[in-house]
Amino acid sequence: MLKVPHVTSYLTEHFAEDAFGTLAGYEKKGGYAAARKALTEMAPGDVIELVKASGLQGRGGAGFNTGLKWSFMPADSDVPKYLVCNADESEPGSFKDRILLERSPHQLLEGILIAAYAVGACTTFIYIRGEYSFPADQVERAVAEAYDQGHLGPNVLGSGFRHDVVVHRGAGAYICGEETGLLESLEGKKGQPRKKPPFPAQVGAFGMPTTVNNVETFCHVPYIVNRGAEWFRGFGTEASPGTTLFGVSGHVVKPGLFELPLGTPLSEIVFEHAGGIAGGRKVKGVIPGGMSMPILPAGQLDVPMANESLRERGTMLGTGGIMVMDETTCMVRVGCVISYFFRDESCGQCTQCREGTGWLNKIMNRIERGAGQSEDLGVLLDIAAKMEGQTICAFADAAAWPVQGLLRHFRADFEEHVRLGRCPFTASFEL
Amino acid sequence: MPTLTVDGRVIETAEGKSILEALDDAGLLMNGVDVPHYCWHPKLSVDGSCRLCQVEVEGFPKLQIACNTVVQDGMVVNTTSDRVRKAREGVVELLLINHPLDCPICDQAGECKLQDYAFDYGVEKSRTREPRRAAKKRVDLGPTIVFDQERCILCRRCVRFCDEVPKTRELAVFGRGDRSVIETFPGMELDNPYSMNVADICPVGALTTKDFRFKIRVWFLEDVEGLCTGCANGCNIYLGIANNKVYRYQPRRNDDVNETWMCDAGRLSYRDIGAPDRLQYAYVRDATGSLEAAGYEAAIGAAARRLRAIIGSKGAGVIAGVASAHATNEDLFTFRRFIEALGTETSGVAVPKGDADDLLIKAEKAANAAGARALGLGDASLVADRIRSGGIDALVCLGSDFLGTGLLANVEELAGLDTVIVLDTHKSEFSRVAHVILPTRHAAEKHGTLTNAAGRVQRLRAAVEPAYEAHPDGAVLSHLGKALGLPGFDGSYDVRAVSKALAESEPAFSGIHLDSVGDRGRVLIDPDASQRDREPEGPNL
Repeated sequence: MLKVPHVTSYLTEHFAEDAFGTLAGYEKKGGYAAARKALTEMAPGDVIELVKASGLQGRGGAGFNTGLKWSFMPADSDVPKYLVCNADESEPGSFKDRILLERSPHQLLEGILIAAYAVGACTTFIYIRGEYSFPADQVERAVAEAYDQGHLGPNVLGSGFRHDVVVHRGAGAYICGEETGLLESLEGKKGQPRKKPPFPAQVGAFGMPTTVNNVETFCHVPYIVNRGAEWFRGFGTEASPGTTLFGVSGHVVKPGLFELPLGTPLSEIVFEHAGGIAGGRKVKGVIPGGMSMPILPAGQLDVPMANESLRERGTMLGTGGIMVMDETTCMVRVGCVISYFFRDESCGQCTQCREGTGWLNKIMNRIERGAGQSEDLGVLLDIAAKMEGQTICAFADAAAWPVQGLLRHFRADFEEHVRLGRCPFTASFEL
Repeated sequence: MPTLTVDGRVIETAEGKSILEALDDAGLLMNGVDVPHYCWHPKLSVDGSCRLCQVEVEGFPKLQIACNTVVQDGMVVNTTSDRVRKAREGVVELLLINHPLDCPICDQAGECKLQDYAFDYGVEKSRTREPRRAAKKRVDLGPTIVFDQERCILCRRCVRFCDEVPKTRELAVFGRGDRSVIETFPGMELDNPYSMNVADICPVGALTTKDFRFKIRVWFLEDVEGLCTGCANGCNIYLGIANNKVYRYQPRRNDDVNETWMCDAGRLSYRDIGAPDRLQYAYVRDATGSLEAAGYEAAIGAAARRLRAIIGSKGAGVIAGVASAHATNEDLFTFRRFIEALGTETSGVAVPKGDADDLLIKAEKAANAAGARALGLGDASLVADRIRSGGIDALVCLGSDFLGTGLLANVEELAGLDTVIVLDTHKSEFSRVAHVILPTRHAAEKHGTLTNAAGRVQRLRAAVEPAYEAHPDGAVLSHLGKALGLPGFDGSYDVRAVSKALAESEPAFSGIHLDSVGDRGRVLIDPDASQRDREPEGPNL
């Protein structure tokens, strides 16, 4: 039995019940009613307009308006159109899609059906990261059930709409979560993002018009269709409506996943929902949205967790993966870990990313080792500036932002390492 | 036609072109408008990864890569702003942090784009204190190419070349991030008929040819525009010369002929020029039957004496002439005049044949077979037939292809002839039967024009002087004609005058001569079509 915190929620409302993961259990809670409604009572354009009106933002990190993204798909097309569900959840600190896949695969499939109908896609590819073996099993089981019951296939829910779902397991590269890197990988190629234009809505999977959406994004859609855009806008903020799943990890008493309205203050999530800092220590910094998002210092945790307010603090919501660090944390060590990750995962196409991620990591390691020099701090920021906004995909930005955030708020940690010629934190260990 | 403005300069371009293509088509790229680039190549697909060609485009908040930004009508581009310069500096600095900086021992030094752009956009002092990435040195990629992984900047031009041009797909990027390396697929070698082009398109010293590396520092080389004569395609080349020696051929861009490529066999054919078997002297067979080196004029005299004797006893009709498809249009025009002046009706051209592909390599292994045909020269099989039937006593042969084209069973078929006079660049089987051998110039040693398989007349330039006395085939025929007292032969051979005379006398060549073909050549006029195929081309880009 899964423990679900008692909060205002809809996505995770029935997650405590194992049966919610089965088709019968899901339908018992009203599942597939939204799909029936969309496929039989609504025109595809109306679905897109409804989702646009709801203000649903993509939950994969960039926060782009979902309805708007759907509207980029060509309405008339001589070739098949595809939908892709991005279940390559790889952002360190993020684990929300995993729970959605495990506990509510039919909720996802219903969202997919509605989206597919809206954009006119004949097939959806669900790209699940290779490490998500159990979640992938659950989705495959749900897809089989749906085919069995006629919820997928030549005549979805008796509506005459045909739709197929293909579950594809990835091979474990972070960059395959980038939508065009995912498409390359899906096609059997090396996972490297594509240069844009063309955008996936023109040339996507296998050369066909394609929309890529995150798992959670799809999961919101049935509720919007059932309950309306106004209802959806009742959660969250004006610019960022709805709830989202915040994954809290790190030095907290109750790490876990919390479905809360967008705009919930970060401090409320950390100190109330996650139970505050473990061991009675003080918080030092919090990464608000997965590892690629700049860190916030203890003094700025009052920020509402929505893109518009986080941007003012120089960071972003990302995937809502909140990583909490207490006062014993060495921020240079954090920089080492983060920069190592991005160095390791860079696909290596673009000069700035391939060379910059390695250089950042080498300097971070050297400072942590006690061999840093005061000029290194300026060089770190300069490399980050040279990487930001200049590459094929946003990976280089994702590698640059955490470095900028660490130096913006925790420069003293770096200076102390340089001054002492060693790491002042006992918790740190030799690299 | 969309119009764009680059640094205040207005450029018209075709629909769907990128900014770089528009600049390239206008002849402005790196020639008035500097947009440095590594991964982009005019004849390969767009990669968009080196990020060096970023420019400011009005209306776009971020810098855009010029290689993948399609021109929209009215687009305004700035390539000189501080932002653009900073972006270029960033790319160059990042490319250099793991570069071995071994220019003093690198064969690419002097023609290296990393060196050039580091000079333009680099900083004097390296800011990196980290150890440089160690990688494999001197990787043997195959029979022609050596690879230095440390120098590689991963522009992937070589990978795309193998994928897209010969389509042999030997190369790929393995690993990711800063562990990315170019390698051949396991069990494969970089081995295709065009493999050496990867060394040309490699902007740095990572890929070098086994043939050229460490032969000479490139700044000692002078590039002379010329033509490859390995087959009928007539690929445009640069001959890299120093001290009157040809060190290499490299393809020269001509989108109407060879784009930017050439085949390995053609590239290596420069070796023929200074080959040890070049004819260094004229040879004359003496009274004892032995072939002895002779002075050039003595050999001309000996040849004339022999031919005069035959004409005196049997008439010129028993003399046969075989032209070479390697000779220039001017040589062949002179050959035809020589045959006509002699008054024989037995002549033809020998064209060597070999394998062909659908890219550049043509089956006719000589540069001017089409020119010979355009000048009305028929197949040399007529000559072979008449020799076999006993109607021929003397042969004047240009080159040795007549022996290698299967028209004769072997050179002994010529042993019964009273007189065999050969004009050639290299020693051959002819030495067994020839009575007079006269040395001639290689294509790299003479001016003139050649007509490729597509009927394109292209300019040939003398890049080097032969080491010994040798004259173009046309000049030798002219000397011989004068010695024979043939009408119209005064012993002179002004190739420019011959070329113009040819253009005036041959309708197919009307207006097409050495001085009018330009850098990209001109296509022969189809006698059936009343208009010219094409106006003279613009400058070579």
